Amino acid sequence: MRKELKIGIGAVVTVCVAAALYFFYTFDPEAQPLFPKCPFLLATGHECPGCGSQRALHSLLHCNIGAALKYNAFMVLAIPYVFLGIYLQYLGGKKRFPGVEKFFFGRWAAAVLLVVTIAYWVLRNLWKV
Amino acid sequence: MNRYFYIDAEGKQKGTFSPEELRQEGIKRDTLVWTQGMEQWKRAEEREELYFLFSDTYRKPLAGEGEPTVRYDRPGESTQTRQIQPMPRTWLVESILVTILPFMFCGSILSLLGIIGIVHAAQVESFYNRGDYAASLESSRSAAKWTKVAMWITIGWIALIIIAIILFVVFIGSLSGFAGMEDLLSA
Repeated sequence: MRKELKIGIGAVVTVCVAAALYFFYTFDPEAQPLFPKCPFLLATGHECPGCGSQRALHSLLHCNIGAALKYNAFMVLAIPYVFLGIYLQYLGGKKRFPGVEKFFFGRWAAAVLLVVTIAYWVLRNLWKV
Repeated sequence: MNRYFYIDAEGKQKGTFSPEELRQEGIKRDTLVWTQGMEQWKRAEEREELYFLFSDTYRKPLAGEGEPTVRYDRPGESTQTRQIQPMPRTWLVESILVTILPFMFCGSILSLLGIIGIVHAAQVESFYNRGDYAASLESSRSAAKWTKVAMWITIGWIALIIIAIILFVVFIGSLSGFAGMEDLLSA
């Protein structure tokens, strides 16, 4: 039962991710009004650390890494990190590489991540102004 | 001494046992116990009278009668009582993930919930290393709670976005439909 549930969740997640990737590949967030806008940007006029990640994803799917990095370098780097986390936690990577988990998802990593996020947030707005 | 009921691994109620007999039953810290005068079932580690069952890792001073530490010196029993409790789940990976993911879906405010989760998750390990198992367990539960709250709100947010996109497409579709009708009428 538990195993079936896991497979079910995995299937749903896979379908959703595939649909989202197709969506982001087909439509350009820059040109289409379909895509959600950042509430923080609308409210304050400053970009949040996530702004540009959809445009970056679109560029990445079209193998345009330079443009992706320009839109949002932080999120481009975060994508492999997120996959690493999912692999470690849910696909058995934790047992195989406990050291990797400790390094990338330990308490220090969480603190570093927080600092980097805030630094990126401040710097990207300073740069632009 | 009170006589206790406890709930075994299969969820069955067993009893009654004196604290000494509970030890022979091999109850753990998180086994639920109940005795007369208690309002509800509690984890064994929360009962002062049962501290000595876990004294090898707990090292709480025992008030009053019966020095159990002497008993632990007997060979054969020490191995049984020296079980080290594994660290509660930290939720660190999950809480980090629910902090990063909302950024990608324009929900940067939601990340604050994930950060609360991270703070609790980080405490799990530090309390555990300090030997405070109960506090560690408590942090683990808070971390789980905040991480799950953040996760569900993020999922809800993504669902909202999807609905908004679908509505938008339908709206545009109907507009262009009307435009087509106008063309037909004018022609």
